[in-house]
Amino acid sequence: MSTYLIRRFLLMILTLVGMSIVIFVLLRLVPGNIADIMFDSAGFVDPAEKAIIEAELGLDQPIPVQYYDWIAGLLVGDLGFSYVSEMPAIDEIGPRIPITAKLAALSLFFSVLFGLPLGVISAVRQNTALDYVLRVVSLSGLSLPSFWLALLILMACVAWFGAIPIYTDTPESLWDELALYLLPSAAVGFRASALIMRLTRSSMLEVLRQDYIRTAKAKGAPDNSVNYVHALKNAVLPVTTIIGIEAAFLIGGLIITETVFNIPGVAHFLVEAILMRDYPIVQNLVMFIAIIVVVINFITDLAYAALDPRIKYAD
Amino acid sequence: MKPTFSTLVAGATLVLLGTGLAAGVAEAQKQGGVLKFYHRGTPPSGSIHEEATNSTVSPYMGVFNNLVMYDQSVATNSADTIVPDLATEWSWNDAGTELTFKLREGVTFHDGKPFTAKDVVCTWNLVLGTAKARLRKNPRKSWYKNLESVSANGDHEVTFTLKRRQPAFLSLLAGGYSPVYPCHVPPKKMRTHPIGTGPFKFVELKQNEHVKFTRNENYWKEGRPYLDGHEWTIIKSRSTRVLAFVAGKFDMTFNSDVTVPLLKDVKEQAPHVVCHKGPTNVSTNLIVNQDSPPFDNADIRKAMVLTIDRDAFIQILGHGETIKSGSLLPPPSGVWGMPPDVLNKVAGYNPDVAANREEARKIMEGLGYGPDNRLQVKVATRNIAIYRDPAVILIDHLKEIYVDGELETVETSNWHAKVARKDYQVGLNLTGIGVDDPDAMFYENYACGSQRNYTGYCKQEMMDLFEKQSMMDNGPERLELVWEIDKRLQEDAARPIIFNNVAATCWQPDVKGFTMMTNSVYNGWRLEDVWLDR
Amino acid sequence: MAAIDHRRELDRAGANVEGWWSGALHLARRYPLGAVGGAIVVVFVLAAIFADVVAPHDPLQTDAGRSLAPPDASMLFGADMMGRDMMSRIIHGARISLAVGIGSTLLGGCIGVVIGLMSGYLLGWFDLLTQRIIDIMQALPLLVMALVMAASLGPSLENTILAISIPLVPQVARVVRSNTLSLREMPFVEAARAGGMTEWRIAVRHVLPNTIAPLIVLATAQLGSAILTEASLSFLGLGVPEPYPSWGRMLSESAAEYVRVAPWLVIFPGIAISAAVFGTNLMGDALRDILDPRERS
Repeated sequence: MSTYLIRRFLLMILTLVGMSIVIFVLLRLVPGNIADIMFDSAGFVDPAEKAIIEAELGLDQPIPVQYYDWIAGLLVGDLGFSYVSEMPAIDEIGPRIPITAKLAALSLFFSVLFGLPLGVISAVRQNTALDYVLRVVSLSGLSLPSFWLALLILMACVAWFGAIPIYTDTPESLWDELALYLLPSAAVGFRASALIMRLTRSSMLEVLRQDYIRTAKAKGAPDNSVNYVHALKNAVLPVTTIIGIEAAFLIGGLIITETVFNIPGVAHFLVEAILMRDYPIVQNLVMFIAIIVVVINFITDLAYAALDPRIKYAD
Repeated sequence: MKPTFSTLVAGATLVLLGTGLAAGVAEAQKQGGVLKFYHRGTPPSGSIHEEATNSTVSPYMGVFNNLVMYDQSVATNSADTIVPDLATEWSWNDAGTELTFKLREGVTFHDGKPFTAKDVVCTWNLVLGTAKARLRKNPRKSWYKNLESVSANGDHEVTFTLKRRQPAFLSLLAGGYSPVYPCHVPPKKMRTHPIGTGPFKFVELKQNEHVKFTRNENYWKEGRPYLDGHEWTIIKSRSTRVLAFVAGKFDMTFNSDVTVPLLKDVKEQAPHVVCHKGPTNVSTNLIVNQDSPPFDNADIRKAMVLTIDRDAFIQILGHGETIKSGSLLPPPSGVWGMPPDVLNKVAGYNPDVAANREEARKIMEGLGYGPDNRLQVKVATRNIAIYRDPAVILIDHLKEIYVDGELETVETSNWHAKVARKDYQVGLNLTGIGVDDPDAMFYENYACGSQRNYTGYCKQEMMDLFEKQSMMDNGPERLELVWEIDKRLQEDAARPIIFNNVAATCWQPDVKGFTMMTNSVYNGWRLEDVWLDR
Repeated sequence: MAAIDHRRELDRAGANVEGWWSGALHLARRYPLGAVGGAIVVVFVLAAIFADVVAPHDPLQTDAGRSLAPPDASMLFGADMMGRDMMSRIIHGARISLAVGIGSTLLGGCIGVVIGLMSGYLLGWFDLLTQRIIDIMQALPLLVMALVMAASLGPSLENTILAISIPLVPQVARVVRSNTLSLREMPFVEAARAGGMTEWRIAVRHVLPNTIAPLIVLATAQLGSAILTEASLSFLGLGVPEPYPSWGRMLSESAAEYVRVAPWLVIFPGIAISAAVFGTNLMGDALRDILDPRERS
């Protein structure tokens, strides 16, 4: 187990190092660099001035040198400066993390709240009308583009309340703050719960087919206790892996939803930074996301290993 | 050393007008409150001298003062509406080459340092590029081509020395784009945390979130500003932000953010709000690369100008309300544009589009093009709806004269670089003008060597004409010459203007004391006279 | 073992019925949801192929008089800001969605198959290397990866396809690799090898056909997710550029701007995307049920 753990950990580090190289190189393929974008708001590009700006930002250095500077800074917690705002990247990214974290937590809450029980019900009532309805609903949840859903929610808000929530960093009450996050997290949560429901259903079905469940039923244990206690307990195991998939899925949903609902979290910030070619922000944010995804996968793997003694780790 | 007649008259009228207004409604004005705006996108920086966008100038104008400014309560800017700001009075020498300002005493910057003549010298040295400190970007360098030097005479007097006579020079100093910077604050700090002498102090800018300003308690103008501050919440989606305004979440929209089709909806949803609809003095125009075939051929350029159905553009994009014009905005909103009867005589402006196109087809046929031999061109434009939509219509109109246009959308990040490289055939472009004066327009956009003269249009005879009108005093003679120049610029297809944009700015009825300018969206945002009636 | 079962299942699904058509009917009766999905997909494919014939108007033709015109007899879905017929634009938009869906599936699938086969066969350092590359590819959510790719390559149809195909590669490679690993020791493969067949021919003749079933499942899933991702990218301004009428872009900018004045600009393209994705997902679910016996009760 411990060699497995060490091995997995080293692979995780290796992946992140590889990721950092990929992102760094990808960003430098970008047609149209930051100096051009900076000039955009002045309505012209002056090649001489541009060269001076590039030198100021260190963009005239060879790419390996730029990469070394970034990683060396990263290791001591120096993320560099945003090209756009000229502020330290850490000060730009840091305050936005809690906003996205709150949104993600609330979305996760909604998705588990609805996804898990509905997935179980759907599996237990497999091939009944209820199952069909739930499956169609969950599938449609995965089929609606999240930005469209967000637009529709905004339209409905205007039609019913004549108003839409506008983000403020100084909400007057907890209730106001909740209202701010409620709609966007419902939009993300709807799609995410559809995913959870489908994964729960299939893992439940798998468990329900296992011999020990059949045995329990044959021994005359009441259906409900078999389904909900025995089966769910075992189905939850594979569902833990869902959290890994879910994390990646949530981040995708948050990017769109934060943009449409104008919530100034990291996901929205990433889109803006990409559009502005604000490399220091983009590369640090993408690394941040990669670290989250990789670490969550690492943890779910470990949890899986710890929970299921049947699994051997040889790879 | 005597003031010109018109400035004297203007000064006198305005003093009268100002005192009259102050006396008449003084009691009604209320102190306090924070004015809430929405903003369309994160301002690129807080340094007005480095930017050419109202994303910066609208929110930040109140941080600064100018030497002189356009009276904030008069909608149509002209030389006659220029009033004192940091300069208390000014005068020209007899040759009209030296402009001397007497400066206000006892004014301090937001960081407590005193304002002196040195700051004025520093500011224009920055713009001229002669200062040690360096602006990263200097978009209005071309305005000051005629400025020889700026010198301080003691702490409270400053002289601008010009290479030649230029009566309109004062106008260039009166718009929102000409603030006075402090000498002791480096340009980088001005971009991130600008310091000025103005009625509002910069508080903070959070990207994609907001930019906030607070009242300058030590403002030199007694009793101003009325507001405790103003805040701009950044919302990129226009529908979201306009909806929020309609729902009463904001006191005021962003500068000219409500398009004509949207305005109808706003008025329906919120009949009580006050909206000012008017020209933005931002023109939608074509940039034609005269160095690259086929547009090195003047005949093809002419045919292209002829096929444009401006009324169709105006109908689609402005629901019939955008303005047909040359490069300069016509009265009543503007001062210098050609009136309709003059405009209709310019090639391509004849309202009989069918006849124009017939003529254009003849030209094309003469060059060997026809239904079976169509000319292929690329129409480049930025990948933003306000640029892209007219480009789509243009391509539609080009079809009429055997030209197949292919739309090439260019990312914002590449657009100006591409234009600078001249890597395009026809481009669709927007041009906003900071000050409604021919000097600003011609020298910025049509003069040889100007950075914002995208097409590189450069003709000595036109340069001579620019200079001739620039040396004239305002009056019918200058006006007629300006019309003539504008006509020739259009017929040369230097940068054919399709229309002048119209948009609305709206505010809640309890926002008082704001005047929306009709001939430049870049002036009128000092906000020191604005107050909230609540 | 599983792989061989897939094949049998496929055969069984079509067994005892004569002809392709009755086979399809048989399947449709067993998997009604899948049939509905299949029908939706067929409609979209037909719309894309015959867009020029089916669309009532030229999707690029502007009309000054019909700017933001509401739906009526001549334009069933109304007109956009430029007076262009929404219905025609949506029909032509099916081409973009389908091109991106199929293009990215083929591209990602092919790369994934080659990588998977090679790492399953060659093992050793090549396998180690590709597995690490695949780890890296999976370390980022689809949309983040696609965003960075689209931004770095510049927006175009080809680049959008490339960006969206990337996440498919590791999935396909994993499946092919593990199948290769299990199949290469199978008796019938051993027999082929003994018979003098080269490794590459074995891979193509025996390994690949036995991997088809899970690949089809992956491909259908990719189809739906590609359509969605393209729409999202275009919505964010990093997808397929004008003048191609992309569904996602129809929903961004001017559509969102005029959502109150002209809701049809938002409703119809949204329905088109949802329906296309829903159809492929339904079909994909049914295919998985058919091809993956464990899902069946």
